[in-house]
Amino acid sequence: MTRPEQRVASAAAGGRARAIARFLIPKILQCVFVIWATYTVAFLLMHALPGDPVLAALSLRGGDATSTDPAELDALRARYGLDGPLWQQYLTGFVGIFAGDFGTSIATGEPVATMIGRAFPHTAAVAVFALVGGFAAALAFTVWAYLARPAWMRDVVTQIPPLGIAIPAFLTGLVLISVFSFGLGWFPASGTTGFASVVLPGITLALPTGAIFFQVFSAAVFDAGASPFVVTANAKGLAQRTVVTRHVLRNALLPSITIIGLQIGYLAGGTAVVETVFSRDGIGRLTVDAVLARDVSVVMGVVVTVAAVYAVVTLVVDGLYGVIDPRTRTRLLSAKAVSR
Amino acid sequence: MPHPRLRNSRRAALPLAAGLAVVALTGCSSSATPSSAPAEDLPQEIVFALKEDPTCLDPQQTSVTTSLIVGRQIVDSLLDQDPDTGEIVPWLATEWEANGDLTAYTFTLREGVTFSDGTALTSDVVAANFDAIAALGASASLANGYLAGYAGTEVVDDSRFTVTFSAPNVQFQQGATTMSLGILSAESAAAPAEDRCQAVVGTGPFVLDTYVPNDSVELVRHEGYDWASTLRDHEGDAHLDSIRFPIIAEASVRTGGLESGEYDVIQDVPYVDEARFGSDAYRLYAKANPGVPNSLVLNTTRGALADEAVRQAISKALDREQINLLTGSLSGSAPVSVLTSSTPGFTDLGDVLAHDLEGAQELLEDSGWSLGADGVYEKDGQPLAFTVTAFYAQDVLEAAQMQLREAGIDLQLNMVAPGDFFGAIASGDYDAVGAALTRTDPDALRTLLSAASPARWGIVDDAELESLLQEQAQTADAAARQDLVDQIQQLVAERAYVIPTLETVQLHASRSGVEGIAFDSAARLHLYDTRVVAD
Repeated sequence: MTRPEQRVASAAAGGRARAIARFLIPKILQCVFVIWATYTVAFLLMHALPGDPVLAALSLRGGDATSTDPAELDALRARYGLDGPLWQQYLTGFVGIFAGDFGTSIATGEPVATMIGRAFPHTAAVAVFALVGGFAAALAFTVWAYLARPAWMRDVVTQIPPLGIAIPAFLTGLVLISVFSFGLGWFPASGTTGFASVVLPGITLALPTGAIFFQVFSAAVFDAGASPFVVTANAKGLAQRTVVTRHVLRNALLPSITIIGLQIGYLAGGTAVVETVFSRDGIGRLTVDAVLARDVSVVMGVVVTVAAVYAVVTLVVDGLYGVIDPRTRTRLLSAKAVSR
Repeated sequence: MPHPRLRNSRRAALPLAAGLAVVALTGCSSSATPSSAPAEDLPQEIVFALKEDPTCLDPQQTSVTTSLIVGRQIVDSLLDQDPDTGEIVPWLATEWEANGDLTAYTFTLREGVTFSDGTALTSDVVAANFDAIAALGASASLANGYLAGYAGTEVVDDSRFTVTFSAPNVQFQQGATTMSLGILSAESAAAPAEDRCQAVVGTGPFVLDTYVPNDSVELVRHEGYDWASTLRDHEGDAHLDSIRFPIIAEASVRTGGLESGEYDVIQDVPYVDEARFGSDAYRLYAKANPGVPNSLVLNTTRGALADEAVRQAISKALDREQINLLTGSLSGSAPVSVLTSSTPGFTDLGDVLAHDLEGAQELLEDSGWSLGADGVYEKDGQPLAFTVTAFYAQDVLEAAQMQLREAGIDLQLNMVAPGDFFGAIASGDYDAVGAALTRTDPDALRTLLSAASPARWGIVDDAELESLLQEQAQTADAAARQDLVDQIQQLVAERAYVIPTLETVQLHASRSGVEGIAFDSAARLHLYDTRVVAD
């Protein structure tokens, strides 16, 4: 026989689980929808592109001797599952991806899963470096700008980070290579071996990433700085450092987390340029090559992978909201109160 | 019977040697230092930056230069061809002869040749290779072109075999010198096409160690290699212990890396950077691709291009010297025939292809065209305009566009992806295509223009040309064939079915401490004699 307080406790726990589920399940469904929608749109776009994927793949290795014999092309089309009606290719491909089978690249003959598995860590390393580096730089510049006196000095400091996004990554990359690889010899100019190879491409992408972070972060910091609670904190004589870390920065953090998802979208495109300049095997370059070669299975594999990463990160960010933002936390708690 | 090659090559040697002498003089002025032995105190290893991912390493399937630069080191061919004289010499086969009507070729293999996996080279392996190529179909289109009409390989014994064809095949002998018909191990030949793209085993002086797509290829020396052709500078093992080919897509990174010492050799120096590497600290390697130069290849069934006078006017309106100056290599020369100066059998037709703006306009006016208000010729209200479909060398076409506009001809460019270019070829939906056809035999013109060719680009209805093209493909006698090839070049240039624009030059560079990089007859590289002689 259960005692009343026990029942209350378990009801409270069940209520909280329900509240969290109510908070999370729509977001997970949204996640699945994003992946499905991206797959579908990408599939339609790939098939709307003019050109024959088999010919495009053959011309990659056939060069000027590429065969245009219709019978031979049909045979290859059948071999790569490109011969059925469109809806059938769509279904087979989609079901295959969920069964873990990404198919085979027509252009290179390699399994798509192998190609993505090889390229993904290289891109992830650069992207993480760029996110962390960009965030740290944005933080440093924001604090500097916040503390800078007089006002014109502050204006100067706030004008520096936007340069990071104004200079094309292509140019930054080449300048970094000529100075730090060819000039000083500190970092390799190409390849994917070791941490050293991540630094220059990472910095190249950290600049625009940091600029975006700075834009959002500094606006939030200056907003917070002008708010009544900071005035109060200053008035009651708290040290500047305590005011900045405990009151200003903490309140300014949320918008920066919000744009991480967008940053990942930006990085997915930005890596294509950086991976070309730094000759890295990565997702961006893989995608560009695959689109040019009309390599449907590779494009679809990459699109689904990137969409999944994007969706998962967004999900995690949304989850973090619940932890960081007191307002969301209260909503969850009040949901608990209602269920009780 | 005597080998057909001998008479063929002698005839081809004169103009060819002259052309190459020019290339050698202008291109390799920086490599005046005498050749020396490999330095004993330096590691015999080089880093050779490639410009793109090879995509497929199997030389039987690919015809892309980058891939073949790697493939040539791994795979040997039955025969070899002297790039200077066109003479064909033994390699994996010590003797060979063709029957009178070129439908059967009998080879004798060299003794003691082994693949890098330890298996021996036998007639059965060669037969398996040729059978596999036939089965690959469209995936090995160039190799299948050389094997056109392949009926089978009869194995006489372990070292003798006869390759038979259902129809005369004049290009097979030359084809046997190419990598397209390079010999792979029995296991490689039996593997699926996709697997062979990732790894192949050959008898070559180097062995594939690793291939990481989009990243790098590494080769190591084939220990015990002892069957180089007589065209190489030494015998026995290759000088280099290993070669690393990083894939560096960005040209400025390749050139910067050569200057900073990160790379020893780089592929494809942009022509604009050529002067940077003219000093004694570097060596430049330049060779014009053999075959049909970069050209406008016309569809004569469409619009104004059906009119011979229009075609001839287009050809005369082009100033090829200027195009070469604007867009070509310093080591290159303007095309003077519908075959490049580095192709065996090339004939100088500089007078037919001379720049003659007034002559061009005169031709147009005689044919009823009159200059319109916008400076473009018109006839019956139709402007003199046509579109060229191409997938590379946009700068060359832009130079041509500019020159033609001056002459009152409106050339439009349609730059497309490679796949779409061949899509256009397959459907025949184009006025003209702009491209080059790299082949080491004048038979390239038949591939390009014959109505019976499965991969023709030029759409031409000319019975006289067709019969000449077919006849040269069945003529065993080299002098008689050369005579036909001369007539074909003359006819194609005069009737302006193919309008050459530029001879594409393969341009590579190395630091001066690396020696012994040699072009083969198809303008790909041999690194067997390559050695590190200085830091």
